[in-house]
Amino acid sequence: MHTDDRSAMRAKFAPPTETPRHASMSRRSLLATAALLITTSGAAAKVVTKVLPWRPNEVYPVTPVTPGGWLFFTAEEAAVVDAIVDRLIPADELGPGAKESGVTTFIDRQLTGPYGGHDWLYMQGPFATNPLPTQGLQSPLTPRQQYRQGLAALAAYCKANYNGRGFADLSGDEKDKLLAGMEKGDVKFDGFSSRMLFNAVHGNTMEGFFADPIYGGNKDMAGWKLIGFPGVRYDFRDVIDNPNKPYTLPPVSMQGQPAWGVR
Amino acid sequence: MTRHWTTHRHGLRHLLAVALLTIPSAAIADPDTYLEAMRGRALVTAGDCVACHTAPGGAPFAGGLALQTPFGAIMTPNLTPDNATGIGSWSADDFARAMHEGKRPNGTRLYPAFPYPSYTKVTRADADAIFAYLRSLAPVSNVVNRNTLPFPFNIRTSMLAWNAMFFTPGEFKPDPAKSETYNRGAYLVEGLGHCGVCHTPMNALGANKADHAFEGGRIDNWTAPNITNDAQLGLGKWSVDDVVQYLKNGQARGVIASGPMKDVVENSTSKMPDDDLKAMAVYLKERGAAGGATPSPVAATDGRMKVGEAIFVDTCAACHVRSGEGIPRVFPKLAGATIAVQDDPASLIHVVITGGQAAATATHPTAPTMPSFGYRLSDEQIAAVVTYVRNSWGNAASPVTAGEVKAVRGKVTGAAD
Repeated sequence: MHTDDRSAMRAKFAPPTETPRHASMSRRSLLATAALLITTSGAAAKVVTKVLPWRPNEVYPVTPVTPGGWLFFTAEEAAVVDAIVDRLIPADELGPGAKESGVTTFIDRQLTGPYGGHDWLYMQGPFATNPLPTQGLQSPLTPRQQYRQGLAALAAYCKANYNGRGFADLSGDEKDKLLAGMEKGDVKFDGFSSRMLFNAVHGNTMEGFFADPIYGGNKDMAGWKLIGFPGVRYDFRDVIDNPNKPYTLPPVSMQGQPAWGVR
Repeated sequence: MTRHWTTHRHGLRHLLAVALLTIPSAAIADPDTYLEAMRGRALVTAGDCVACHTAPGGAPFAGGLALQTPFGAIMTPNLTPDNATGIGSWSADDFARAMHEGKRPNGTRLYPAFPYPSYTKVTRADADAIFAYLRSLAPVSNVVNRNTLPFPFNIRTSMLAWNAMFFTPGEFKPDPAKSETYNRGAYLVEGLGHCGVCHTPMNALGANKADHAFEGGRIDNWTAPNITNDAQLGLGKWSVDDVVQYLKNGQARGVIASGPMKDVVENSTSKMPDDDLKAMAVYLKERGAAGGATPSPVAATDGRMKVGEAIFVDTCAACHVRSGEGIPRVFPKLAGATIAVQDDPASLIHVVITGGQAAATATHPTAPTMPSFGYRLSDEQIAAVVTYVRNSWGNAASPVTAGEVKAVRGKVTGAAD
């Protein structure tokens, strides 16, 4: 489906094949192409005059993630991701960690959506073989492919190097050492960049731990409580007007907070 | 026509000829009735005829809007002078009879969704001016199904009995003991303005309760508040100038017109002369105060108030401000706002569920918008936050139940799509 979208997109943005007969025609055909793009791309261009665009009940709500089960991961993959995120943000005296906060569920659901296919990224290359750090992702692999292939490579690596044990069966020290090696790229998986897998899980763990709970992670706003983030409030004039006074309001998520009562 | 006109100008001339032929005679304003028609246009604005006699996206005055009544939907007729589908074949007498008696030219009865119980007060001279203006409009062919009510309400003779009970025909009689301004205001408010159709409660048969005039009603699931001079529920704390500013600009005293009143302000009152607005304000302020007794506020320690306060602080306070004061000209004030303490909480529930857009006028063109929260708050939560708004910062009104929210939600969710 995503490949189809891409080829449709490519066809849409392909330059016109017909050679313009003279300069004025060239501009005209360019205009015609532009108009066609606007009308066919689905992003309907709209001229707003006299009235403000508003309709009653107009909202674009997020469908809340319902925890339970896996939509992308296999049970084995999920157990490994659980084990990794549990080392990245472990539960401690400050509160629950990434695993308890549903970060694996967050990653699982994200991988099934547009992020998982990098639907909104340019993915046609060319990809630099030795990119600068500022050049971002330089790979044709989508997050779905990174997780599927990366976790398989990690499983094979563990099987070969830890007497047949899987990542989840390693001791805490072994896990940390292996993860540190993956972060540096020192650990060599067979056919996959260990660093790419580490970066994917590391980035997504932070996102899941601090994103709104509606997306499946950050359960009970644990991440926000840990760092004192106020949540989806957007007016702090009262706070600004009262410097050096403690901020006492609890965090609030898109679905509210416990004081709102039962939904 | 001179010879140096080139050939393509002949084409233009033909076009003009065709255009002239296709403009039916009624649309050409007769210079003799121009002043009369312009006077009629001002009266049509005061009556806000366009609001009901225009379908969404349709030609103005060509009818076709489905008016929702407790008895079923009534499609409004075409008021343009089209012979077949409009009032092109009507005489001035026909028009005056519809306005004053609620009857069509053939004698059959109109339903009081057309506010002839108000329009009967309009003078014959004004009715004729309105007719002259409507005759000057371009005729629009628009067939409207005028028989959409279900049995037994589709029997138009049943209006005979209704009229006997609730309809008092007759032109407006000024009160000689009152000022000219007061009487002008009374004429506009009681007649063309037909304010009471929304702002006076209805009985079970859809008639306004004469003994509760202007004490507040409900229209399209919005609350039409008390506009008597009652200090708590009505205009008692408003000055005449406050009322004029509200009708002219869509806002005054920190509150902003929304819901159906947005359309009234935008189409009608903002375009009326200041003198008429002042007269209406004087009449409403002087005609007396009436309203229910103010209840004591729900205690701040009440569980609903606690939940409501949390939701208000997290959801509403960013715009309406923690103190309920709002932001002048942009976000309506809730503290002391009469709409917050009406016995009927429909507007508060409605606006929280669907969101809303306030009136835009020439002097205040912003039209601030409130987003919809219906997707995000449950019936219980909306009941709690509305109860909190109704009973904080000096406000006092009955608490709202989840059942009331559910009833409104069922009528307003998705209704606009």
